[in-house]
This record gives sequence, structure tokens and C-alpha cells, in this order.
Amino acid sequence: MGFILDPLYTIVSGIMIGIHKVLSPVFGANSGVTWSLSIMGLVVIIRTALIPLFVKQIKSQRAMTALQPQMKAIQAKYKDDRQKQSEEMMKLYKEHKTNPLASCFPILAQAPVMFALFTVLNGIAHNKPHGFMKGEYLSSAAQAKFFGSPISETFLGSDKVIVKVVTIILIAFMSATTFTTQKQLMTKGMPKMDASNNMMLQQQKIMLYLFPIIFAISGVNFPVGVLIYWSTTNLWTWGQQFYVIKRNPTPGSPAYEELQRKRAHKAKHEGHESSAGSEAPVDTPKVEGQRQQPKRAKKKKK
Amino acid sequence: MKRIAAKLIEFYQAYSAMREPRCKYYPSCSNYAATAINRYGFKGVAMATWRIIRCNPWSDGGVDYVDYHLDSADARHSMVLTTASGAVKEGVL
Repeated sequence: MGFILDPLYTIVSGIMIGIHKVLSPVFGANSGVTWSLSIMGLVVIIRTALIPLFVKQIKSQRAMTALQPQMKAIQAKYKDDRQKQSEEMMKLYKEHKTNPLASCFPILAQAPVMFALFTVLNGIAHNKPHGFMKGEYLSSAAQAKFFGSPISETFLGSDKVIVKVVTIILIAFMSATTFTTQKQLMTKGMPKMDASNNMMLQQQKIMLYLFPIIFAISGVNFPVGVLIYWSTTNLWTWGQQFYVIKRNPTPGSPAYEELQRKRAHKAKHEGHESSAGSEAPVDTPKVEGQRQQPKRAKKKKK
Repeated sequence: MKRIAAKLIEFYQAYSAMREPRCKYYPSCSNYAATAINRYGFKGVAMATWRIIRCNPWSDGGVDYVDYHLDSADARHSMVLTTASGAVKEGVL
């Protein structure tokens, strides 16, 4: 595993030290604010780097409206055979070179990054250097505090009341953001499920409540720094999803229908004169009317 | 080992069930991994890894079975048909 993780330690600690160097003149080299922000900055950098991928996905999700009629036809044709239905759906995406799904690799690739951060922060707690986190930085980070609690200490590993309070607040925050993000996605962001998916819906509900509990149980073993990272990631995910559900919802989801209604309403109010100018409200009908043309245009763009 | 892998995949699937579906392929990467590891053991792990690497933002996805002739919907149907006709034959004889 070393050959995969060693470079990751270097990258993770390098980014942290880099941000620390930039912020030191502002908040002070040994300040907890500097160290906390360098952990949060790590999230910001990783997630910002992933934004182009995210935009790409949203764009192809938009292109899906053009395939809506074909998708409906497939659903109707193979409504008794879910496997065949899924096969045909995937074939359709591939044929049109637009796949609305995010793909598995990026999410799985994030796990080693999490693990690397965990190791680097744990190293701070146990005075073990990793990558650039060594020497004076190591000792400086070891005493850095987040709201009075050292960022390297854990709920279970510390007797200080302030550490317990801060970790509990962070774990509660993590659980709450995970819960609301999932809840928002399930109630608004996903296409409505039919009765045949009842079991999956049930499973989702269990998971919705189970995961905050798992976080709470595992969170007591994590250093404050990891909890800061996790909370920031969750907040980012929530914000990103909130934006998408409001502005670019998945076709077929309740949020999408709501947006369509709003746009139709807006178009009605603005009257006939603006109907030619404002692009958004006429977007879907136009695409549905002549589905060959937009499809070709999209192919050429790529 | 196979059973541990199967359990891990099951756990991942339970977790991902509450998120948006994300896999670009059919069957999903986790489903593919479960079949491949169960059928091919260590080689299956390599197959699953390769599949996950292929499931990236630049791929177009598509239908990709471990063994098309065993797992696809068409294969399954023809299998049901042959066993059904076989049963009928046996019944007649």
C-alpha cells in the first residue's frame, strides 16, 4: 500500500503546509485559525478541482431532456423486464454519447485521500512526520487549537472537556449535514420511484437514519482535524446539491417539475413579447419538438 | 476471502442506495465486481478494478457484463426457455 499512500501523504501535507505558509502572515504561524483553515482549504482545493467534472455531468444531464421520448418508449416497451430496460437505456446513452451519470472512479478515488489526511493528522497527534508535515510544522500543528480544542486530539483520547464539547458539536454537525443532504436528494432531487422500487425506497430510509449514527460512533475516534475536514466536505456537498436542485434538477424529479412550473409561470407573466427572447422557458418544448437537431448539434460540440 | 469481498460490496451497495445512482455502466460497478469476484476469484478483483477505472468522467459507459453469454437479459431469457422446453420434453417422455 505504501507506494500508493506515500505520494498521497506528500500531496495532502504539501497542500496543508502551502496554505499554512500563505495564511501565516495573516493569522500567525502557530494560530489554530491558520491550521484549521489549511484543513478547510484542502477541501476547497479538492472540490474546486472536481467542479469541471461536475459541470460536465450536469451538462449531459441537461442533454437528457432531448432523449426523454426515447427513454419513455424504452420504459414502456420493457416495463416487465427491469434488466432489459436498463440495458436498453445504457445503450441509448452510449449511442448518443451522453451519459448523465457521474461515474464511480472519482468517488472511490476520494477514499484514499481521506485516509491520507487521517494518517497525517493522526501523525500530528503522535508526533510522527508524514510528507511535508514534519519538524517545526509538526510541533506547531500539534498545539494548534480549533475553538480551544487541539486539532490532533480525539473524543476518546482526551480528558479535556473542551475537546469533548468541540468533537460532539462537529459530529452533530456532520450528521446533520449528511442527513439533510440525503433527505433533500431523496425528496426532491431524484426521479419519482414507482411501486416496484418500494424495497429500495425502504432501504434508503433505513440508511438515511443509519449513517448519522455510524458517523457518531466512528467520529469519537477521529482527531478534531479530520472532523473539520469531514464537516467542510459535507457542507460543500450540501451547498452544491442545493444549487443543482434549485437551478439544474434531474429531469423527472420533483424539483425539476417545480422548476418547470415556475418557468411556465414566469413565461406567462412576462407575456408574448419576451417569449422569443428568454431562452429558459422554451427550452424543453423546443427540444421535444424536433429531437434530431439538438442531438446532432451536441455531438459536434464535443 | 470471497465472502468478505461480497459483504464489503453489499455494504457499499446499501450505502450507495441512498445516493444518486452514479455508475455509467450496466450492470453497475459494484454488481460487476460481485459477479466477477464470485466467478473468477483473484482475477475477478483485477477485472473489477479495471472496470472501476473505466467508469470515469470521460467514458461513455454502456452495457458491460462479466460474461455476456451468461448474464445479459437475452441470455437469461434463452436459458429460461431452454430449461422450460427441457422440462416439457421430460414431462412428455
